[in-house]
Amino acid sequence: MEQALFISKADNVKYFMEDFSRLYFGTEFCERLIPTIEDIKEILGFVQKKCLEFTLVTPYVTNRGLEKLEKILEFVAGEKVKTEIVFNDWGVLHLIHEQFPGHVPVMGRLLNKLKRGPRIMNIIDKVPGPTRDFYQGSCLDVPELCEFLKMMGVYRVEFDNLLQGTNLDATDTDIKKTLYMPFAFVSTTRFCLSAHADSAERPDYVGIFPCGRECRKYTFQLENPVMPVPLIRKGNAVFFLNENIPDSVHKGQVDRIVVEPEIPV
Amino acid sequence: MKILSPLDSIEEVDKLAQAGAGEFFCGLLEEEWYEQYPVISINRRPAGKGHFRTFNDLKTAVTKAHEREIPVYFTINEHYYIRKQYPLVTKYLESALDAGIDAFIVSDVGLMSYIKKRGYDVDLHVSTGGTVFNWRSVAFYKQLGASNITFPRHLTITEMNDVIGTMPPVDITVFVLNSRCINVDGFCTFQHGLAGKEIFPMFRNACMLPYQVTVQCDGDADEKITHERKALMLQRQRIWEKVHVDDHPCGACALYEFREMGISSLKIVGRGNPLERKVKDIRFLKTLIEYLDSDKTLKHDFRKRAQSLYRQTYDRPCRTHMCYYPSVML
Repeated sequence: MEQALFISKADNVKYFMEDFSRLYFGTEFCERLIPTIEDIKEILGFVQKKCLEFTLVTPYVTNRGLEKLEKILEFVAGEKVKTEIVFNDWGVLHLIHEQFPGHVPVMGRLLNKLKRGPRIMNIIDKVPGPTRDFYQGSCLDVPELCEFLKMMGVYRVEFDNLLQGTNLDATDTDIKKTLYMPFAFVSTTRFCLSAHADSAERPDYVGIFPCGRECRKYTFQLENPVMPVPLIRKGNAVFFLNENIPDSVHKGQVDRIVVEPEIPV
Repeated sequence: MKILSPLDSIEEVDKLAQAGAGEFFCGLLEEEWYEQYPVISINRRPAGKGHFRTFNDLKTAVTKAHEREIPVYFTINEHYYIRKQYPLVTKYLESALDAGIDAFIVSDVGLMSYIKKRGYDVDLHVSTGGTVFNWRSVAFYKQLGASNITFPRHLTITEMNDVIGTMPPVDITVFVLNSRCINVDGFCTFQHGLAGKEIFPMFRNACMLPYQVTVQCDGDADEKITHERKALMLQRQRIWEKVHVDDHPCGACALYEFREMGISSLKIVGRGNPLERKVKDIRFLKTLIEYLDSDKTLKHDFRKRAQSLYRQTYDRPCRTHMCYYPSVML
């Protein structure tokens, strides 16, 4: 089992331990947090020093974010380090496929559309079998999707650790599976409520506005009696914590675990 | 610009057409699906109102709409389907084609690949669940056969204009009325419509629940923030629960820019809304489109007109958290 460390800030290499053979670096949720080329240079230095494999994580992006990523992918291509690119935007896959065939595309967890809302746990034992199959299933058992992904060069897909479990029995074995632990993402927004959260200005504004990277300062916990576990809002995304090792790991259906020592925002 | 209206029944066709609908979108849920998937819809709308019940009814509605030269688009836009669902999904696809629908609205790349492989002769429209934020995503879906893309709610007017200026040619649909989701639809994995209405808090969307919110400040942030500020910060986090409330969110001010951008369709969310509300929404937009078309209106004057008509129609002031494109209010 390959173990990877996932960090979104260069300083967090402090979490590195010898068990890790791969480093994930980047962001999935916000194009404003895409690392600079300087950050990536620093991380690549660390990767080379520790003889690690490297995975660059990318978010969903507007045209502006796409331009930033194009420059970064070009820089990484010049570094002669075999790089995986986790894409969470079909446009980024299009970019890799058309312009950077040397990079290895990996389908990110935002595009792996599993149902993650924790309230599923309140009903999972009461619903008919087909409904349970859906909540615990994966579309990687659909041949047309898998054929398409492989045609695009995608042979790895990222999974969250769902509270209700994920049955990978019927999924395509040519496509490798990664499991993220312990934080599972549930939802994301561009109407970021962390932006200017500590300012008295615009308390009722909900939209896409400039920010002061308040996501790096505050973490909110949201609790309600019908939600089986607390929700954690960090930046423009919502997560829950699940530290249980799922069956798919014991069955050998997952061949890589990505460890998130902090929520990667 | 055409008005893309929800359609729930045969009886609505004439009245919505008379009000000014230029296109319809609809969904259908049969008992067979509901028995197996009582809390999962095939089309992102929970069971209950807002669906056709039979393909015969759908066919009649499509025929009536076509007599008025109005196309009908069929939603089959859950974010994913597992293999076991495909026999039923295939039945829906083929029955909808038999009913004469003009396009499928889809968001799952797997389903699009399946439709392409089966060779169905039908247009594909990408739902907002397709998460198209940039021109390359448009190109990606176009290669999969899409002829129309619905932009997410989470793009500014400027960002939309950037995408349109660089993308390959496809028709674009944008949201203008109702259900301003706080989360990006295609990346939101909360389950809507859980359980029944008898368990009310369970039934509400997760983003609408009242939460007890606490905050942890990283590093030295805690020392720099006053008690009052912290209270404000927590209060702001709870605005989440107010945004999805369907208190007439509106993006009509942006029609001015949408016309300049060449937007094809203005989407009114609202499958399941009463007919009277659908008619009111369509008339509101139609009045504004006619105003835009009839005169060389200045942007400022159009905004004033749109905001005034909004107040008059819905008996509410414009509010930033109910504004689809709040940059217009700055």
